[in-house]
Amino acid sequence: MASFLAQRLFAALLTILVTTVAVSMLIHLVPGDPVQIMYAQSQGTTPEQLEEVRARLGLDQPLMVQYIQYMGRVLQGDLGRTIRGDQPVLELLLARLPNTLILATSALVIACAIGLVCGFVAAYRRGTWLDTLLMTSAILGVSMPHFWLGLILLFYFAVHLQWLPVAGSGAANLVLPAVTLGVTNAAIIARLTRSSMIDVFDQEFIRTAYAKGLPRALVLYRHALRAGLVPIVTMIGLQFTYMMGGAIVVENVFGWNGVGRMAIQAIFQRDYPLIQGFILMFAVVVVLVSVLMDLLYAWLDPRIRNR
Amino acid sequence: MQNRLEKAIALAGAAHTPAAGVAPSGWAVLLRRMGRFWRSAMSNRGARVGMVLVTVLVLVAFFAPWIAPYPPDEMGAGMSLLTPEMAYPFGTDEFGRDIFSRVIWGARLTIQVGVIAVGISLTVGTLTGLVAGYAGGWTERILMRLVDVVFSFTETLIALAAVAVLGPSLSNAMIAVGIAAIPFYARVAYSVTLVERNRAYFDAAYVQGAGHLRLIFLHLLPNIIPPLIVVATLGVSSAVLAAAGLSFLGLGAQPPSPEWGAMLSAGRDYFNQAPWIMIYPGVAIMITVLAFNLLGDGIREALDPRQTV
Repeated sequence: MASFLAQRLFAALLTILVTTVAVSMLIHLVPGDPVQIMYAQSQGTTPEQLEEVRARLGLDQPLMVQYIQYMGRVLQGDLGRTIRGDQPVLELLLARLPNTLILATSALVIACAIGLVCGFVAAYRRGTWLDTLLMTSAILGVSMPHFWLGLILLFYFAVHLQWLPVAGSGAANLVLPAVTLGVTNAAIIARLTRSSMIDVFDQEFIRTAYAKGLPRALVLYRHALRAGLVPIVTMIGLQFTYMMGGAIVVENVFGWNGVGRMAIQAIFQRDYPLIQGFILMFAVVVVLVSVLMDLLYAWLDPRIRNR
Repeated sequence: MQNRLEKAIALAGAAHTPAAGVAPSGWAVLLRRMGRFWRSAMSNRGARVGMVLVTVLVLVAFFAPWIAPYPPDEMGAGMSLLTPEMAYPFGTDEFGRDIFSRVIWGARLTIQVGVIAVGISLTVGTLTGLVAGYAGGWTERILMRLVDVVFSFTETLIALAAVAVLGPSLSNAMIAVGIAAIPFYARVAYSVTLVERNRAYFDAAYVQGAGHLRLIFLHLLPNIIPPLIVVATLGVSSAVLAAAGLSFLGLGAQPPSPEWGAMLSAGRDYFNQAPWIMIYPGVAIMITVLAFNLLGDGIREALDPRQTV
């Protein structure tokens, strides 16, 4: 188990390292002069001021030096300051991050609740009308753009019925974005759960369990579900990453005050320090979640736990 | 008998050896397999529905100028915010543009998104996976590690980063979405290449002295194509979704483009008075994505009936 985890930790560190390289070089990939583009929207910036910014961002240094300086600052928790408003990037992001995490987590809970149950039922009743119904809904769900579903829910429940508030960041505001994100992803989870459970149902130990005369509920719960759960857990870790990505879009539909909404504004304003900070932070969250999932996976699967 | 033997060999994925004793290029084998592959895919009901929908979409896109009653950006084609009626089947938007015509013209943009984005990810991804699987050693380790790193982010984040660098426009969104999906294609190409390079036909070509390029492009490439067709078909769905999402956020197609995501974004202020502004472009996206999902799922089942998702 130790070697498995060491391997995973190494991969995680490598991912973060590559991200820092990519993020620090991001600004140089911008076609044209990034500093001029960044300030294109502010009126009356003098060439001297642009030169000053260039020096402040270290853009006049060799690439290697820039990277080392960038890493030095990042390791001290300094992600730079925003172009608009001159605020510390890290503080801004950390203030909004909990909102995004809350949204992604609630959506994940909804997605798992719906997806696991539907997938399990569809697998168990494979080939029946129930299976067809569930899987047809699932493929429709997979094909639905979540921003569109979000708009429709917003219109119907918030504007038309006025059951829920339209925008804001309170608990009642969480319902619609979480459902939007959860339902579309539930469809993916349902499809994967179904195929994973079908694989398990076809295996010999399930037949053996039935042959021993065990009651159906016990076979399903103790034998099938446990074996089927291992690949599903890995998949759910991946789902969380999707949720984080989906949250970027959904936050913008509902005006949910998370990092995704901030990132889109930053892209519009060409605020590169903020964009860089966002990407780095997103990468760190994704990597942390995947390491956590690996731990869980290692603990769930005795073949790895006892190695 | 001869015919059945040939079939069996082709089925096994091994090249049949003609009298001359030169291993034929995998392309000939692939072409022969395609017919069977196609029939088997089309025996799947979902795939047939998907294929019909895709055909309709392509026809609509091609004949857009003839189908659409108005040019897509003609303001005042009708009064503004008209409810759907005979003359304006999907109603009109805030500028009096005919939404039906705009949705029809939007199909062209969607096809472009699919072709360009998937073209980028398919080409770059396949080459990366193929070279990594073929070369082995350090090339393999570095390439695939890199692919894994990029894969661990979501496509959304990579696409956002790419748009942040390139600037918002529909063509940049297509490129961004294409780049974002590369790791996925690379992984599939890589894993299939690993299997194929252990097959007998590969050894046969190798001992005959085939060079690197010949081995890669005449023998390996045609044999990894069937699974990549599945990935690319499903890839069109996710590319269309992702590009529409970017356009919706304002990072892709810009108004007055009749791109479906951009239409949804522009129409959201009028949702209350004129819900049809929001309904039809969304339905168009959904049907397109559904069509490619059904087709991709069907082809996958035809290729590998065991692996049914």
